[in-house]
Formats: sequence, structure tokens, C-alpha cells
Amino acid sequence: MLICEDISFDIDGQKLFSNINLNLKPQKDLLITGPSGIGKTTLLSIICGIQKPTSGKITYNGIDLYNLPENKIDEFRGKNLGVVFQNFNLINTFTVKQNLEIAVSAINTKKSIPFFNLLDRVGLANKSHIKVANLSIGEKQRLAVARGFVGNPKWVFCDEPTSSLDDKNANIIANLIKEESLRCKASLVLITHDSRIQSLIKFSKILKLGDEL
Amino acid sequence: MIVGITIITVSILVNQVTKETFSKNNPGLDAVVGAKGSPLQLILSSIHHIDIPTGNISYQNARKIIKHPAIKSAIPISLGDNFQNFRIVGTNKSFLKLYKADLISGTAWSQPMQAVIGYNVSKITKLKINKFFVGSHGLIDTGDVHAEQPYKVVGILKKTGTILDNLILTSLDSVWNLHSVTNKDKLEITSLLLKYKNKTSSFSFPRLINRGTNMQVASPSFEISKLLKLTGNAHRIVDYLSVLIIILSLLGILFTLLNNINERKYDLAVLRTLGFSRWKLFSIILSEGMIISILGSTIGIIFGYIVYESMYYFSIVGRSLELGQLSFLNDLFLIWIIINIIAFMTCLVPCIKVYKQNIRSTLLNS
Repeated sequence: MLICEDISFDIDGQKLFSNINLNLKPQKDLLITGPSGIGKTTLLSIICGIQKPTSGKITYNGIDLYNLPENKIDEFRGKNLGVVFQNFNLINTFTVKQNLEIAVSAINTKKSIPFFNLLDRVGLANKSHIKVANLSIGEKQRLAVARGFVGNPKWVFCDEPTSSLDDKNANIIANLIKEESLRCKASLVLITHDSRIQSLIKFSKILKLGDEL
Repeated sequence: MIVGITIITVSILVNQVTKETFSKNNPGLDAVVGAKGSPLQLILSSIHHIDIPTGNISYQNARKIIKHPAIKSAIPISLGDNFQNFRIVGTNKSFLKLYKADLISGTAWSQPMQAVIGYNVSKITKLKINKFFVGSHGLIDTGDVHAEQPYKVVGILKKTGTILDNLILTSLDSVWNLHSVTNKDKLEITSLLLKYKNKTSSFSFPRLINRGTNMQVASPSFEISKLLKLTGNAHRIVDYLSVLIIILSLLGILFTLLNNINERKYDLAVLRTLGFSRWKLFSIILSEGMIISILGSTIGIIFGYIVYESMYYFSIVGRSLELGQLSFLNDLFLIWIIINIIAFMTCLVPCIKVYKQNIRSTLLNS
């Protein structure tokens, strides 16, 4: 279970948001919405252990994330969380397959990962040896989703996964995220200001930044 | 880095080997008597067989020195010819005793035009017992040969690790016959290798000869220490130059790594988001730097050794140098360790930069 208690974040002494509380049971989905600039991406970074909050506590199955040593936070993220970033954060000089392989090598797993199956599910099986720099935006988005699920994470975080896509591609990506999170039995936290997403995925909870849950 | 370490390796090897060779080639000789000229040249030509002789001295005068009461032993040598750049030395059998030389096969010479060859001579020229060869005029191979009077190999010496391995020994009569010197009063030799009965003679005897005759007495230990002092300065300059090159190459590694992580800071931040810890990235960057340094320094030492070995095979001077003890390995290993410790400390700078990287701001700024 993911629990966030009284999360606040200040930038240069100005409050971006304060006292955010949420809890997410296993295999449940949460949508975080709000207008641009409200701090959705910052909140996601905080929940994922990338950005320390000004105050508050985040626990995953009883583990206080920011009580772990810095190195352990990175390792915890690699082993338990899948993150699909808004700007993908792919390594452009690597091929499609290498981007998945490097993600797997980060988690030190001895399990063999069926890359081909995963790439097949996201429709990139025939592009595994192509460099990321040569992919279209839609393909990069699909690869980012595939990488988010490559280590079979328990929690998956997606930041604006559809906002730069047309309706057709947004539909494909939304279905993909839903299917992969079901396959991994992962809890899904999706952050977006894209109003189309609620018609594509049914969420158990919705948090509007600024409103109470 | 490879260039710097290659230079320093060659410098160490040559320095070490030169010192070793000079010390091994002198089997306790106190002085050399020869024609007037450079005393160092006399020592180098008569003991180490590197330089050309200062000239010849009369054998009659040499015999007087041999009989002098201050002299314990005196061995005459006569130079002038070579075979495939290996010097032919006319001498007597005391020369073999002087170097405690044993024969692998055959015997010592018993009559003119018989020769005993050193270990390296037999290995390189492939001369065997009972084979004939003809000497060339001069101390390097010019092709101008004494075709009418060949030498016969009667003995091959065991390896001594001294200059003896590179010499062809024969009787004085062989040299005189070959150069058609028949008048006993006109016989000449190149020099006399002396041991004094008493070390105090090393002051009085040279004065006697240097002032009263057209010959000179040179002290091997004095001349060689003078030479090593001179070459030591040259070695120091070469060493400073190589240290400068190594420092530049270490700075090169530092700036390459810094530039590299600057170009890859986005990728490194992505790796952190994927679960690579700070320490893992720290160790990856450190490994990259240390692999360059370890490979560079190791290849440099191997290249240096190859350059030294090439010098041994392709130069006439090099043939007089031989690696004996492997004590130089300690010096090279020490240098290898020092360079890699400095490289390690240099690599820590970019590693710390990676360790302190803020992934959130790096990803946002990218």
C-alpha cells in the first residue's frame, strides 16, 4: 500500500502545494489531475523518490521512502516502481532494446526478461535495433511505457502519457498502460491534465490538486 | 600516457642495463694501457668494446709494462677486425680466465687462425665448431674482408652475461698474421688490461706511464663513473620530459571524463531514475577512468620493453647491453603503481561530480 502523509513542497520559500494526503491500495488506480503548473510532475517526482519533499512522509508497504539512505532510494525505485516520464527520459544514443536492457541491469534481476514479448505488446518488435533518436513521438511514448513495465513493478507512475498524442495514439497508449498494469498486478498512478484520459481508463480514485480527495 | 610511459620505461631500462653492463664487463681490472687520446675512449673500446680504440701501442713497450713489479697481471688485446659486427679480439688465454669463461663445446685456440666465439655470436651468426668464417676490416661490417685467411671455430663459450658473449677471441698471432706483420720489433697491440699487485699503484703507476711514454693509463672505475654522471643528467632530462607527458595525459583523462560526464549528464540522470544508485554510477565512471589508465600504463611499459628489445637486436651498441637481473621490474612496477594511484585520485573529481548530481534539475534542464 502507498501512503502519502502531509506532503508539502516549497520553491524558493513559496509553497507549491501543501498537506497532500493519499493512500492507494494494491492494484488500485489513482488519477491526479489539475491545471498546468500546479505541481503535478513535482508531486510525482516526490512520490517516486526523485525529489525530496519539504515536509511529509511517503511509505510503500510500511517502508518510509525518505528514511532510506539515498542509494537505497534509487535501488528501491528501480526494483519496485515503474516510471513513465512526460518527456520519456529515454537514452537517445541507445537502441530500443538497449533502453530496456539498461533498465533491467539497474535492478540486478537474475530473471530472464522476454524483451521480444514486451516489445511485441507495445508494437515495437520490429524496431528493437533502431536507435531511439530515429523513433516517432508515438513510438518513443510506447517504448517509455514498455520500459516502465520491464521490471514487473508493484507501482507504476505515468506523467502526461497522452497529452502530446492524437486521439488514436492516445487510445493505444492508454489501453497499453491499463493492460500492462493489469498484467503486472501493479497499482497505477497517472498524472495528467488531458481530459480524454478519464474516458479511456476507469480510475478507482481521482485527486484534483488543490481539492480534497 | 602510452608515449610518456614508453619513454620512461626505455629510460629506466637503458639506465639500469648500462650500469649493470658496465659493472659486469669489468672483471676487477684496475687500469688499461693504450695509445694516448681520450681515456674514456680507451676504456670503452678495450673493456666494453663500444668505441673505437685510441690507436696502437708497441708490443715491445707493452712487454716492459707486463714485467713491471707493480703489475699483478696484464693481458694484451689487439682489435681491428669484425665478423658481422662482432669484434675479433686477439689476446692470450688469460683473457678467458679473467672472465671465468667456460666452453660449451670445443677447446681454446692452439694455433693461429683458430677462434673461440662467444655465446651470442654463435646464436646470431649460427657459427658452429669447425666452421670457417672471414673477418672484415674495421670494427663494423663494411664488406671489406680478409677472404684469403679464414678463421676456424674451435670453441664456443657458455653464456656469461658479459661482453664476452659478443666477442670472437683468437690469438695475437692470428691478428698479426692477418695484417702481415712479421717483424717482431714492429708488433703492435691495442691495449693492455691491468691488475695491480697493490692498490696504491693506482696513483704512482699512471703518473709513470703518462709522463714518461707515448702511452696512457686509464682507470675504468674513474672513467665509467664520469660517464654515468654525464649520462645520468641526460636520463634525468628524459625522465622529467616523460613525467611531464604523463601529467599531461592524466590531465587529458581528467578533462575527457569531465567532458564525457557533462555530455552524458542527462543519460546518467536517466540511469538514476531507473534504479542505478549514486555509488553504482560513481564506480562505473571510476572504472572507465581506471581502465584507460591501467591499459595506457601497461601498454606503455610493454611498448617501452619492445623499443628496448628492438634496440638490442637492431643496433650494434645495443648488442653490448644485456638485461641481467630483473631488478628493473621493481622500478617499473613502482612507477606503474604511482601513475595509477594518481590516475585514481584524478578520476575521483568527475566521480564526485556524478555522485553529487541532482537528477531532478538535470532532467528538467535537459
